[in-house]
Amino acid sequence: MSPNRDPNRSALIDTALRVWIILCFVFVFAPIAASFVFSFNSDRFPTIPLGHFTTDWYRLVVADPLVWSGLWNTLKVAGAVGVLATVLGFGAAYTDHRHDFFGKQAYLALALLPPTIPAVILGLAMLAYLSRLTLSGSAVSVIIAHVVICAPFAMALIRLRLSQMDAALEPAAWNLGATEWGAMRHVILPFCAPAILAALFITMAVSSDEFAVAWFVSGLNETLPVKVLGFLQGQVSPRINVIGSFVFVVSIGLVIAAQLLMAGRGARPYEE
Amino acid sequence: MRNRPTAYGLTFALPLLVWQVVFFVLPLAFLVALSFFTVRNFRVLPDLNPGNWGVILWRQVFWQAYGVTWLLSATGSLIASVLAFPCAFGIALKLSANSRRWAVFLMVIPFFTSYLVRAYAWQVFLSDTGIINGLLAWTGLGPYALLNTPGAILVGYLTLSLPLVILLQVFSLTYVDRSLIEAAHNLRAGRLRTVFEVIIPSARVGLVIAALFAFILCFGDFVSPVYLGGGHPTTLSILITDTTKSGQQWPRAAVIALMMIGTLLATAFAAVHFAYRGARR
Amino acid sequence: MSRQPLVTLEGIRKSFGDYVAVQPLDLAIHAGEFLALMGSSGCGKTTTLRMLAGLESPSAGTIRLSGQPINHLPAWQRDTPLVWQNLALFPFLNVIENVEFALKMRGVGRAERRRRAEAWLDRMQIAEFAGRAISHLSGGQRQRVALARSLVIEPQILLLDEPLSALDAALKVRMQSVLKSLQRETGITFVYVTHSQSEAFAMADRVVIMSRGKVEQIGTPQDIYNRPGTRFVAEFLGSSNILSGRVTGSTGPHLNVDGPLGHFQVPHCDATPPQSGQEIDFSVLGALCDLGPPGGDPRPNQIDARIVGEEFEGAFATIYLEADTGQELRVQKSQADIARLEPSPGKRMAVFWRAQDCHLLPG
Repeated sequence: MSPNRDPNRSALIDTALRVWIILCFVFVFAPIAASFVFSFNSDRFPTIPLGHFTTDWYRLVVADPLVWSGLWNTLKVAGAVGVLATVLGFGAAYTDHRHDFFGKQAYLALALLPPTIPAVILGLAMLAYLSRLTLSGSAVSVIIAHVVICAPFAMALIRLRLSQMDAALEPAAWNLGATEWGAMRHVILPFCAPAILAALFITMAVSSDEFAVAWFVSGLNETLPVKVLGFLQGQVSPRINVIGSFVFVVSIGLVIAAQLLMAGRGARPYEE
Repeated sequence: MRNRPTAYGLTFALPLLVWQVVFFVLPLAFLVALSFFTVRNFRVLPDLNPGNWGVILWRQVFWQAYGVTWLLSATGSLIASVLAFPCAFGIALKLSANSRRWAVFLMVIPFFTSYLVRAYAWQVFLSDTGIINGLLAWTGLGPYALLNTPGAILVGYLTLSLPLVILLQVFSLTYVDRSLIEAAHNLRAGRLRTVFEVIIPSARVGLVIAALFAFILCFGDFVSPVYLGGGHPTTLSILITDTTKSGQQWPRAAVIALMMIGTLLATAFAAVHFAYRGARR
Repeated sequence: MSRQPLVTLEGIRKSFGDYVAVQPLDLAIHAGEFLALMGSSGCGKTTTLRMLAGLESPSAGTIRLSGQPINHLPAWQRDTPLVWQNLALFPFLNVIENVEFALKMRGVGRAERRRRAEAWLDRMQIAEFAGRAISHLSGGQRQRVALARSLVIEPQILLLDEPLSALDAALKVRMQSVLKSLQRETGITFVYVTHSQSEAFAMADRVVIMSRGKVEQIGTPQDIYNRPGTRFVAEFLGSSNILSGRVTGSTGPHLNVDGPLGHFQVPHCDATPPQSGQEIDFSVLGALCDLGPPGGDPRPNQIDARIVGEEFEGAFATIYLEADTGQELRVQKSQADIARLEPSPGKRMAVFWRAQDCHLLPG
């Protein structure tokens, strides 16, 4: 043991904490890793020891037309939700950043609250309400419900970016002759661009993963996660693992892209 | 800047407001109306019928489910908080800045994997011929019935809430002023006493909020109770999905949903009150 | 100056809720002058500047530019470029794009605006950084970009809000001379907000001293230094001893004043000198006071006091003394004098000055 070790730190406690951190990560990642491994496993009923390596389940999934229609629905919905939620979220984030007004607390609560309402409740409420408007059972109803859930995420991301902006930039643009719209186009939007793209990706990822509300309101236009819910209700099938792994890879791709935009290339030259 | 609303300002403020009022506030408000509607011949008809409330609130099944759901969620939230704390403490206060960034990034990943698929993977671990019993068989133990038990539901709740609780705890612990910890040591508080006397009180609001979010997530979840708990015991979310999907009994489902919202609001107010009263003292 | 002022503020008042930031204020700014608005934080100097730029609208009063009221114009329709305290350079644009910004907003064509921006980069000696990101510039270089960005439209007036506050001491002095010569060469009116006496006195033709939203004194740096207009100004500048007493009569050009610290003679130049029996304040610069052995016959304009400390700044030192009443006095001496006087804490000495060096504080 080095004679100069820090007496305020205990090697034993530090090691114990590290082991605990690793155990937590193992618990969190065990199901993710398992579904990845078993998607390549030959046995229909997954157990130890593993069967042999196979891509049969992938082939089965690819050959299933219902999966393709689900994927297509998911992409349609996610694309529309991403754009709408990001536009709405940007407006709210900018409003919060720029203005102080009576009832702002209520406005912000309204803007941020939806994800805290349990999906079953939101699903039921949406189903009942949208069927009154004769909108339920369509892809549009899924888009509407998902925008409600996703816009807060977009708003939070863009608001974070705006809070990093020097408050003098917008008045500086006016001072140099830019109108309010000019300052929006030439200053606010370029500054927020990385966060806007990140918000687009994240909201698409959230939408393409959401199953409960979509299950309530989608009717025949089931998205992929709703399909998975259907598979789960039926018999055990490694096809769930295949779709899960596929969705995982796509979502993580989107998240990493968003991360790079928020933290990496996009943000670095702006630092003071 | 100016108090008078301008066309420019409203262009940005209104779209979200309108959307959330029309597609979030009104649907929730509609639940209230729906809870007084009548179902006749599988059709939901507008009415002012308090019978749905009676039917649900006088049923023992409902109150049993209510108690079970509340107890399971509270236990899940407590276990998640206790398990997460040493982990979050280590990440926030012991790891280097770089490792901390990685740990946070890794903890974000579960949010973008399908919760359904993760719950299904736990079935694979917990079933009678599953991975855990397979490993136990090598040592001559088991098999034990792990799936379709309240314990399996809690595993599902932890899968759902642990990453969020860890992240929220990490954030609140990183904001604890390091000089407070040094001051405590300087005033003869040992390691453990510093944790309980200084660090936990400083991070109190964040810790309570993290537990609250875990409770909200567990309370509304129907995947774990159905696919890991096997539908027994019945939780409120199972009651809602069953009541909605079978027999078109939407008004009764609305009653259950409103009872859930009321419970969540009361819990949230109590938790926030508890968090801030402590923080102000 | 007989010409029409470039800018006039007439009865300008600004309040935020209950808080009054600027009291009714009248001010004329002349074409081609370097005007400094000085005061401690919260005195209303920055609010006044922001009202000129149209970033705040006055609660009452009229602002005129070349005689025309401009209250109703939004910020983007005024040619009143501002150099911000934190510079507010656009981080997502490079150096030359920042400088071109104002021209682009005015619809100047691409080639023309590039040419004019390059000319200003040249003039500010930062042409080599044209393509650089703002984050890759030093503090002094950023300062020059901010100036070029504001000056590229060749305005009649340039507003500056403590632009040097982020720089280190040496760079600050260098930028002061850059600003001063820029102002002389271009003839553009500079309105410069600062809390720093040295910056204001080094550069400005006229200084406006503000306190709690009110103008305390307007004058040249020499005027203000030698003849502070109010007790506040004398205290704010911090280089004078402020004394008070009761007028007992007058001898020739001097008032005879009796105070708790002794007997004083104070020159009066007003048409209406204070009457006998009136309480007055007067000041004497620490640099004009002298130190000597204490005691002896009681003479006018002399106070015996105990040394409590000294502070060295280059070739000069300020000696702080405390009189028997607890009043603090200061005397500024050269290092050579200090060596001769051998002051040490606790030692008693006499502080004295010539009658003509005191200055009666009005009000």
